[in-house]
Amino acid sequence: MPRPVRRDPALLAAVVVLWACLALFVLFPLAALVARAFFEGGRFAPGALATVLRDPNHLRAFGNSILLGALVGGAGTALGFLFAFTAVRANLPRPWGAVLDATALLPLISPPFTTAIAIIFSFGPRGLVTYQLLGLKGVSVYGLASTFAAETLTYFPIAYLTLKPVLAALDPNVEDMAFSLGSSRARVFRTVTLPLTVPGLGNAFLLVFAASLADFATPLILAGNDFPVLPTQAYLQITGLFDFKGGAVLSFVLLVPAFAVFLLQRAWVGRRYYVTVSGKVGAQTAVKSVAAWARWPLLAGCLAVTVVIAWFYALLAYASLVVALGANHAWTVGHYRVIFTEGVKAIRDTLIIAGLGMPLGGFYGILLGYLVARKVFPGRRAMELVSMVNYALPGTIVGIAYLIAFNDPPLALTGTALIIVACYVFRYSPTGIRTTVALLQQIDPSLEEASSSLGAGSATTFRRVTLPLIVPAFFAGLGVVFIRSMTAISATIFLISINWTLITVRILENMTELSLGPAAAFSMLVVAIVVVVMAALSRLLRRFRTPGRVAVASLLGG
Amino acid sequence: MAAVGIRLEHLTKRFHHRVQGEVFAARDVSLTVAPGEFVTLLGPSGCGKTTTLRMIAGFETPDTGRVFIGDEDVTALLANRRNIGFVFQNYALFPHLTVFENVAYGLRVQGRPMAALGRAVADVLAMVGLQGYDRQFPQQLSGGEQQRVALARAIVIRPRVLLFDEPLSNLDAQLRVRMRSEIRALQQALSITAVYVTHDQEEAMAISDRIAVMSRGTIVQEGSAEELYQRPASEFVARFIGRVNLVRARVVAVDAAGVEVEVAGHRLRVVAPPALPAPGDTVRLVLRPETIELATAGGEGPAGIVAERTFLGEKAEYQVRVGDETLQVTRYSGAAPRFAPGSAVTVRLPAEGVGLLREGA
Repeated sequence: MPRPVRRDPALLAAVVVLWACLALFVLFPLAALVARAFFEGGRFAPGALATVLRDPNHLRAFGNSILLGALVGGAGTALGFLFAFTAVRANLPRPWGAVLDATALLPLISPPFTTAIAIIFSFGPRGLVTYQLLGLKGVSVYGLASTFAAETLTYFPIAYLTLKPVLAALDPNVEDMAFSLGSSRARVFRTVTLPLTVPGLGNAFLLVFAASLADFATPLILAGNDFPVLPTQAYLQITGLFDFKGGAVLSFVLLVPAFAVFLLQRAWVGRRYYVTVSGKVGAQTAVKSVAAWARWPLLAGCLAVTVVIAWFYALLAYASLVVALGANHAWTVGHYRVIFTEGVKAIRDTLIIAGLGMPLGGFYGILLGYLVARKVFPGRRAMELVSMVNYALPGTIVGIAYLIAFNDPPLALTGTALIIVACYVFRYSPTGIRTTVALLQQIDPSLEEASSSLGAGSATTFRRVTLPLIVPAFFAGLGVVFIRSMTAISATIFLISINWTLITVRILENMTELSLGPAAAFSMLVVAIVVVVMAALSRLLRRFRTPGRVAVASLLGG
Repeated sequence: MAAVGIRLEHLTKRFHHRVQGEVFAARDVSLTVAPGEFVTLLGPSGCGKTTTLRMIAGFETPDTGRVFIGDEDVTALLANRRNIGFVFQNYALFPHLTVFENVAYGLRVQGRPMAALGRAVADVLAMVGLQGYDRQFPQQLSGGEQQRVALARAIVIRPRVLLFDEPLSNLDAQLRVRMRSEIRALQQALSITAVYVTHDQEEAMAISDRIAVMSRGTIVQEGSAEELYQRPASEFVARFIGRVNLVRARVVAVDAAGVEVEVAGHRLRVVAPPALPAPGDTVRLVLRPETIELATAGGEGPAGIVAERTFLGEKAEYQVRVGDETLQVTRYSGAAPRFAPGSAVTVRLPAEGVGLLREGA
């Protein structure tokens, strides 16, 4: 049994420091946001909320956000299930599995506007498909349909990553049992496979719904004036009208459904995960639940999506290398020259911030994950919950909250790199935290007790036993913080300044100036950097997989 | 280093159980282990034996009560300050370290210089028969080898006491028998005090100087294997240690030499139990299967019918019906006559070495 906190000074110090950080960078900004929304000169004044709720435009934005989230959640979960089922259950030759993984990985590591840009290149007024191929004039690509399509393609990988382990964990022996009792394949799918996947499906839907609800970049480009959603409304309120209070109130309106989804998802996953693992591992058996002929239509469905995504990225690469896509297709490296001259500050700033955030986020993630998974101290569950808040909340809310909280002395951090780094660390480390917790759950506590019985104190035990075993989680945490630092925009767009700017923000500026070439070139650069760093990290991970270490399935899983 | 004893004084530990609410894992457990003694905590799962062991180790803190190692009160001391060797059920070998580094771990924590450390590890690996395994990782070893590494890791730090939590339960039957005698030999060679937890009564009898039988969080009886086997203090102990027939009998006479009882119409003298029953009391006789003899029908003693016979090589086990009771009887092969099922037999109860249980014990 873990010892009490008061008898363990190292633990006490770690808990105090972590709570101080969480209070400063999670709770305080949120409190500042709510205070700005509801208090006027120190007095409670809910009038602002009423004003917002009476504004039909804002009400529509609220409705649109929920509608879009539900549609994307449904479609994304269906697509994710198709991919996961095909990858795990269809007995495909191995290379096909790699193709499916790569298809799902690309949208996860891309900067936020890639799908949106590619859709405009394809289906916009001068789009390759709509104008060049079909000769249509005056097409409007903006609105619900294109936003829905772009978000579904961007976020279905979340559902895929959630559902794949669930389906993989289903013991084929259970399906064999149903076959042996005389069920047909369709019946086995309907009565065994699908019901066992239901909790996973629910979880996937909530995660994709939350991602869509929080998405700021896609609607900003694609939704247009007729389909306002909450995150973009809040952004425009602040950057267009300099109305902090209005932005705060709109954020609060967005916060309610986001928080509801967060709590629902936690309760759902906590209570309803089926465990089909029974003490002993059953006999190895091949999956028989998919007929030999049925795997080809399944694969074809997935490959259709692969082709669309590949087309988008090819188009982006092409657009970065021609003068003006849709008008002048002469080859040029001019766009790259632009980003490496005018844009070099943004590249340098982004790399510095990502480089600072990476180790901090990695250490924070394993430390907090270790404490909540292994130690007993008052407020442990609260700490875990609070650590997830910035991750669960839409970036727009976090950005506006930081802006409001850190704009004035004594904590005037606006304009510094620190505020952006802090934002990334506390927003994107939860992946590292959860990977750490998951790894620790596979490592028997008796290892730590053995170390203790041999005379090691808790700090020594952590350093010599626990830490080496959770190194994979550390690298996974590093990877996610780095990738997100390269690709995120929704929160940090409020936090950039003359001193510190980001590539993603430059992409947005290029797009609003209609210089799509440099935007495409920046996007390609981000994808390239992320791919290189990910490859390096997974090499490192492989090196650390000496016998006995628990493997981390995927950098972005969990 | 001279061996030190262990003293547990009124240890109590409660847990919160999801269904049953507050439950006692240990309730007023007191036990004294002499220096160099090998004591086993024996009991069914959930009896509190592991919790008690973990309180000695310092992995659990008792709600009330005290733990002494030697003359030192270690109740408030953390596990890493108690200088104990603990062998876990799952061995708890560090999977990221080689055999050498696993064994060296405790010495490195002490900051032992490299040369002395290498020598100590080599010595102890030789002691458990694992020379040449230094560079292997735990997963590359068999269960028995992993067990030896765990043992080596625990003893290399020269602990004051050795604690074992069901260390053999993951091994197959033959290896279990071999390892238990090796553990015993090692404990004797090091002359170190040991507390051992198991649910296997045969293992407990084979390995220990003394056994403490636990049930529902308390120690119900302590003693040597013979004492527990021949004079169990309760039905629980009688049934838990070895096979037994508990036969109802009536006390006829009590005198200084023993007790005379009547069972199935026959009189029998038994050794006097600690608390003497009075004439007329109903008691139960503790009859071990191998103490009962079978003879051809018509002799002196209760008459029975053989219901079943199972041949097991060196012995045969009989089920013999006497009145409404069925007795288990073990006869060793050799001179003993064979009785087929259905045969009428005379049952000869032993005249000595029979335990007595008061009604309700």
